[in-house]
Amino acid sequence: MTDNKAFQAWVGTLPADKLKPKKVRKNIELSLWERVYLIEVLRGLAITSRHFFGNLVGFVVPPKGKKRKIPTVYYPEEKAVMPPAYRGRPTLVANADGTERCVACGLCEKICPAFAISIVGDERQDGSRYPGSYTLDLSRCVFCGYCEEVCPKEAIVMSEEYEGLCTTRRGDMLYTKEQLLKPVDQLQKRIDYVRRIYAKCNY
Amino acid sequence: MIADLTETIVKILFIFSINVGFYAPILGWVERKQSALMQDRVGANRANIFNFKIIGLFHPIADAVKVLTKEDFIPEGADKFFHTLAPFLSLTPAIVTFAVIPFGGAYELWGHPVKLVIADLNVGMLFIFAFASLSTYGVVLGGWSSNNNWSLLGGLRASAQMLSYEVAMGLTLIGVFMVYGSLRLTDIGMIQENFFRWGIFMQPLGFVLFFTCAIAENKRAPFDQPEAESELVAGYFTEYSSMKFVMFWMGEFLEIVTISGIVTTLFFGAWHLPFVTDQMLVSFFAGAGPNGAALLAMLVNVVVFFAKVSFFIWLMMTIRWTLPRFRYDQVMRLGWKMLLPLALINIFITGIVLLV
Repeated sequence: MTDNKAFQAWVGTLPADKLKPKKVRKNIELSLWERVYLIEVLRGLAITSRHFFGNLVGFVVPPKGKKRKIPTVYYPEEKAVMPPAYRGRPTLVANADGTERCVACGLCEKICPAFAISIVGDERQDGSRYPGSYTLDLSRCVFCGYCEEVCPKEAIVMSEEYEGLCTTRRGDMLYTKEQLLKPVDQLQKRIDYVRRIYAKCNY
Repeated sequence: MIADLTETIVKILFIFSINVGFYAPILGWVERKQSALMQDRVGANRANIFNFKIIGLFHPIADAVKVLTKEDFIPEGADKFFHTLAPFLSLTPAIVTFAVIPFGGAYELWGHPVKLVIADLNVGMLFIFAFASLSTYGVVLGGWSSNNNWSLLGGLRASAQMLSYEVAMGLTLIGVFMVYGSLRLTDIGMIQENFFRWGIFMQPLGFVLFFTCAIAENKRAPFDQPEAESELVAGYFTEYSSMKFVMFWMGEFLEIVTISGIVTTLFFGAWHLPFVTDQMLVSFFAGAGPNGAALLAMLVNVVVFFAKVSFFIWLMMTIRWTLPRFRYDQVMRLGWKMLLPLALINIFITGIVLLV
């Protein structure tokens, strides 16, 4: 799912054939065969035993990576790869030279339903605007993604970060501009995704 | 005299250690891991010592430490004496019943006849029934003395269910006794030396009925009405904590082992491999001297017997994690309207076959 083209192809095929309702067996009267129950019991046992013996392969030393049949992620040792649609901690996009893209227009501050963002705008020598301070209160953030939707400069996007976000002090949750900035090449996938998904909506 | 005493003590220690020391803790692990594998999960694997996890086998130890350090809580208004007595009444029968189940044949060691069974009673099966009925008291007392609605309902259900299924179970086994002509479990085991005299061939219907009734007696899914966690929280042991809770738990697991032992003894050739008699085993190991041969044959017997027992434990676990719980009226209907008549029919057919 991390492959962008494959993901697009998958989205394209989705609605037409996948949303078709499946055939449901409506009669709840059991046949005689089913009311004897013993044979149905054996059938059920066969299914569960098949899973049991199938998973018994590699039970003692589970094979690493994707060869494993059981889809559980062994969390602290392995990390789940998040799809680009995942909305993690919001980050500010930094250009290649390290300056922020944000122009301190205040749209994200305005639209934020949780009042998590507060911006103080400033001006450089050449007259271009930049945020003097950009504070994101993560204890208020609801991870809705409105800020990236509304941003005209693609300057704030949701990253894939989901770890280390909780602390015991509220002060630690006030993220400053320096903490929020992330180089653009790390966020390219999400930016592509945002472009595609919001371009569909035709604002 | 001394030899008899030593023999008995060794056998008791052996059975006790294999039941309480091996099966009781390991079955908790088996239950978790097997259900996990059957449902495509991983199961408990986090308990470790110095980062060694060995597929979650430290979890029984962690559990033991946990339950031993937990507070032993008796709720207000509960009958203290019976509340404490109940888990003992539930655990003891499960341990005691294994005394009459043979786990090997009769041999001679140093001129002393040795039978691999703790108590070779001539009323073996009746003894098992008597003690199986006793475990009902543990459940009912636990439910009644807890001063809790869930517990009381669980105890009521347990008493009704266990009494109903005991009837069908007893009638089922009458067919087995008619075929073998003995209540003594060692006799039944000896007869099954002949592969074609195994209980499963003589009494196929009897096996199915007995196994169903045994699971119902054991109060495990699909017959776990007395605990029914979606309806009664934990049923009759809702108010139990710490070691008393574990005694109920161990009682349940040891009952599984006992039932598997009975099923093996009655229907699956006891300690015999197919087509292999004890005499053949002794002559096969003849190179080890008379005593060595007997010991090795005993070892083979014990291994075969407990392998079969483990298979039936696996089967019961699989059934427990495959089938949904019956509704209470379904349990009663199955017991009285289906299993009981079928058991009577089984006796009837067996009688006709024996006469003809």
